[in-house]
Amino acid sequence: MIDLIQNTFNGVMVGSSYALLALGFTLIFGTLHRLNLAYGPTIMAGAYLGTYAFLRLGIGALPVALLVVIGAVLAGLYVERLCFRPFGEGAAMASMISSFAVWMQIEEAATLVLPRHLYAFPPLVKGGPFEFGPFLVRPEHLVMLIVSAAAALIVHGVLNHTRLGLGIRTVIDQPRAAELVGVPVRRVMALAFALASAVGGLAGFLIAASEAQITPMFGMWATTKGLIAMMLGGLGSIPGALLGGLALGVVETHAQALFGPHIRDLIAWGLLFAVLALWPGGLLGWRRVVAAATVERRV
Amino acid sequence: MLEVADVSTSYGKIEALKGVSLAAGKERITCLLGPNGAGKTTLMMTIAGILKPRRGSIRLAGEEIAGLPSARIVARGLALVPENRLVFPQMSVSDNLAAGAYQRRDAAVVAEDTERMYARFPRLKERRDQLAGTLSGGEQQMLAVARALMSRPRILLMDEPSLGLAPLVVGEVFRIIADLNRDGATILLVEQNAHMALKVAHHFYLMEQGRVTFSGEPGKLAEDEVIQRAYLGTRRAV
Repeated sequence: MIDLIQNTFNGVMVGSSYALLALGFTLIFGTLHRLNLAYGPTIMAGAYLGTYAFLRLGIGALPVALLVVIGAVLAGLYVERLCFRPFGEGAAMASMISSFAVWMQIEEAATLVLPRHLYAFPPLVKGGPFEFGPFLVRPEHLVMLIVSAAAALIVHGVLNHTRLGLGIRTVIDQPRAAELVGVPVRRVMALAFALASAVGGLAGFLIAASEAQITPMFGMWATTKGLIAMMLGGLGSIPGALLGGLALGVVETHAQALFGPHIRDLIAWGLLFAVLALWPGGLLGWRRVVAAATVERRV
Repeated sequence: MLEVADVSTSYGKIEALKGVSLAAGKERITCLLGPNGAGKTTLMMTIAGILKPRRGSIRLAGEEIAGLPSARIVARGLALVPENRLVFPQMSVSDNLAAGAYQRRDAAVVAEDTERMYARFPRLKERRDQLAGTLSGGEQQMLAVARALMSRPRILLMDEPSLGLAPLVVGEVFRIIADLNRDGATILLVEQNAHMALKVAHHFYLMEQGRVTFSGEPGKLAEDEVIQRAYLGTRRAV
């Protein structure tokens, strides 16, 4: 019983970073209605910038975090300018494939600058796990949970209480109508992309810092984790992204405890398959799918 | 208020508008009739800045707006209630109205205008926290009109506001159009329902195959023929 609670708790803490990854992914998918495969690699570009500065200048975790976020935003804007702005919504395939090309570009560039397979990353906190009643808590996971929750609340605030947030929500909901009420759609898309990259960069920092290391596989890892969490929660649903991230974390942690670490990713993909087969549209996305179908019928 | 002169718009190589000219007078209801595919919606989208005209001029209160981005056109005082309403389905009624005022910075006056909309459309007030996608067709139409009015337009364009609504609700929509006009609104209305449209319009144009083919005052000419042409188009000798 204690193990069950312990693992669930660990899962929620790890899952909070997946939730943040999925949140960024969803902001991009929701506003552009296109898949950005280079999402993980843009985060990796930020993380490599942070690592580089850490190795060269020996700066602490906080300035590294700032650099990771800035690097991710810059790389994100590069992807937006190159893969999304030139194509219309109708050319989803062109955007997706060019984002794949940029993925390879970023990965190659990163390994040119830092060619080894493994680099140290500044740890999130010093000190080992502590006991809390019968439970063992890893402090870096606790920080991850708190920072992720704060970031999600900030994004919620931006979306619901600022003019930019209103613009983003209109573009997510009905892009043609957004244009008609006077939302500068292209600018809002670019800003949403920057916001999503900042959120992703923060998630990337938390994950790399809790592991205290980074590898060139990080880009692909972040894209797949974010993608699975987003699909689990429901494509385009923001609460769904958060829920999907937490669910992924919990399931992975339990699977790892039961069957060992080598089974973790297999379980993640299996979970995605099961949800999509049984519950197309994801945990919170089904209403959206139904609503879209109704609108299409009416038109 | 609005003067459209010799406007042509193309989709790729297909020319949908072939030099359209018309004018909508201040505080009047101008109606645009015509069969399906005549280019009415294309014209509305061109005026609103969603489509770019290949040539021609569009003047709003004397200022050229052809080719401006749609956000700038809204800021200049033109709002379009689009075909199929296109409310924001996953947003609340009150957020839909807030989105309508996106280009405005005068928060206090926007708040007053929101209350004015609720006074004019009590159904929207009842449902202010409900998602717009859950409203009935008629309520969504009212919301689309109220959302457009939130930008304080000098001219309101309406594209097929009666489309897909029950006959009783259609009557209500036309009553709202007449009421708005009585309060001083300038309206350019596209309608399939020529009977109802000609009852409220001060002036009308007939569009066929991308051109304006007829213009006049309702009641002065053989209304039957206009209605027949609006629905069926002109029969042409082969």
